[in-house]
Amino acid sequence: MKRTLGLIFIVFISLVLIAGCTDEQPSGEELKIGVVASMTGSASTTGKDIWQSAELAADEINANGGVYVAELGKKIPIRLVQGDDESTREGGQKAVSRMITQDNVDILVGGFSSAVVSAHQQIVAEHKVPYIITGASTPIITRRTDVDTTYMFHHAPTCDDSGSQITLFLDDTVRPAINEKFNFPAERPLRLAILYQDSPYGKGHQDAIKNTIANNSLSIQIVAEEAFKMGESDYRTVLTSIKNKNPDVIYVTAFLNEQIPVETQALRDIGLNKVFTAVEPNDDPDFYKGVGTYGDYSIVQSRFSPYTVPKGPTEAAYNKFVTDFDNKYGGFPGMMGVATYEGVYIAAKAVEDAGTLNKTAVRDALATIRMQQMVENMQNQTISFSPDYRESKFELTMEQLYWDESVKETRPKIVWPESLKETSFVLPEWYEPGQD
Amino acid sequence: MVVSSDLIIQVMIWGLYAGCIYILLATGLNLIFGVMKIVNFAHGELLMLGAYITFTFYAVSGFNPYVLLAASLPVLILVGVIIERTCFRPILGTGKLNEIFISIGLIYIIQNAAAIIWSDEWRTIHSPFEHITLKMFGVNLPLDYLIIVITTISILIVLFLFMQRTRLGKAMRATSQNRKGAMLMGINVERMDMLAFGIGAGLAGAAGTLWVVSGQVFNPYMGSIPAVKAFAIVIIGGLGSIPGAIIGGLIYGIAENFAILTLGGAWKDAISFIILILVLIVRPTGIFGESAE
Repeated sequence: MKRTLGLIFIVFISLVLIAGCTDEQPSGEELKIGVVASMTGSASTTGKDIWQSAELAADEINANGGVYVAELGKKIPIRLVQGDDESTREGGQKAVSRMITQDNVDILVGGFSSAVVSAHQQIVAEHKVPYIITGASTPIITRRTDVDTTYMFHHAPTCDDSGSQITLFLDDTVRPAINEKFNFPAERPLRLAILYQDSPYGKGHQDAIKNTIANNSLSIQIVAEEAFKMGESDYRTVLTSIKNKNPDVIYVTAFLNEQIPVETQALRDIGLNKVFTAVEPNDDPDFYKGVGTYGDYSIVQSRFSPYTVPKGPTEAAYNKFVTDFDNKYGGFPGMMGVATYEGVYIAAKAVEDAGTLNKTAVRDALATIRMQQMVENMQNQTISFSPDYRESKFELTMEQLYWDESVKETRPKIVWPESLKETSFVLPEWYEPGQD
Repeated sequence: MVVSSDLIIQVMIWGLYAGCIYILLATGLNLIFGVMKIVNFAHGELLMLGAYITFTFYAVSGFNPYVLLAASLPVLILVGVIIERTCFRPILGTGKLNEIFISIGLIYIIQNAAAIIWSDEWRTIHSPFEHITLKMFGVNLPLDYLIIVITTISILIVLFLFMQRTRLGKAMRATSQNRKGAMLMGINVERMDMLAFGIGAGLAGAAGTLWVVSGQVFNPYMGSIPAVKAFAIVIIGGLGSIPGAIIGGLIYGIAENFAILTLGGAWKDAISFIILILVLIVRPTGIFGESAE
């Protein structure tokens, strides 16, 4: 009995000692970046993209010696800490709390879904940890007033930016094309139907469209505004209702799992032979696979396409990132991945600029950061955060999809803006304009 | 908005299609409840499995997905039998709480298993008839929807004949009506449980197959919303009543689509639950329910 007790005691002591032995470096010897990613749950595909892209960026920076911190007089390595938000608000709160209070991260990067990010912002605000949010699109993230968001920086296109650019494209490219083809008067307004997800994301786009029309006095008439519940799969009736209103173009604010049935059901079941626009999260290989022939001639907004690279200064960086990611993990990293990849570089640059790991100094460095654009095209070719709401500004492109018999899927070509376009927008033969 | 008769017929057709999926799901749920008196919260996951089994057979064989219904149906029946034998039979009669937690646990287990096997990306299948649309009653009717409606009616007729004309079907009905009485008459009620669960799972699987061939996308988490609606339909139609599930499914499908047309998409789910509340106020046992239990 005594022997057994002694054995248990030795095992217990050994476990305590082993638990105390970690490879963690003393504070200040490494830059600890907490990556908020949905590693499990419904958004885990995107979460893995976020994590793996962050890992790729950290590995690249570490391979070059790490991040120079003037206060320490040396370069220190980046250590990533994974915070799985479980694709839920509660999971995000747990993960962020742990990373801040137990792992003592210096800075946070990532965060997918506006709802999930909103739920843990209060924790970040209380602890004043700099946070580069790369996966939420609602502008409210850095504009809300109920939480102190001064430590939060938004490196993803907001609904305002995205909605505004699609609306401008419709006015300066699609409207003239319709009027010319059907011999309508040049001043005839575009008849626009909006089909939007009943969520802050969808409503954000709806507002952005209206504001852009009003602020720029665009010749666009909104003839239908229809909402659908998030995750909806049956759009036949709502599309029938839209058809009844005779639009020229249908602007859809939906995620990939919604956009595919919208376009499929509209063209196949309803005979809605119109131009459809899709917002930027749809520019994904699964969208091309899912929408099949029904995507032909449709419009997809893009910031990081799986199948076309904007010619210009980001082309080489795009190819390198996509190839490196594919070699290391297999597959395409997705837009949340690329934003997080850039986010880790932004974090590293901010620490170098601050010359310290002090969170307030890093926050100040982020507020004034000016970095050359990396993989994604940015306005003025620079990554910086706006002084009012700390948002970086992206140069988004509009792509038109064309059927490619060799791959049995559609493939995109950039049709807007003028500076990046590969070809001109065309109306398909089967297109039917709306009637006044 | 101008609501023409064509528009009403068109929306009725969309409602009928949606109703078919609900009917198959709710009928299976009701069959299981009728015989075993358990509520299987993981029923939507069986629909999801049906979608994936069809998808897998389709990817491997390239056959017409409608033909693959004949292959996916037996697989789902087998899955149902295994679930009944391993999960529900051991705890049957030990308390409702155990049954509820087993079925809730199954939701997570099946979802995660599916995510491991097939990944959690959204998937689609393209029906070979997706480009064929018929013009009937002045409106468009995609051939796929006609096939879905005919397939659903055929499945229900086969089920009806099985329940009414065969010894097994009569034994299941007897078990449903009076379990002890059925046992005293020499019916192996445990076998009836297994059969009911198997058929219920098969019906959910059939709903999954029809879901994917109609151009819907699916992933491992897609079963929850249809399952919630199937539960509401079961309550509207009356617990344990198969005709109730059929009528409830049709009411739901058509009402949802008219709500979208007249009130907007945000009202789709709300109208279903308004109907549920109204039915419960007027007839608490559901349309075809009996005042037992």
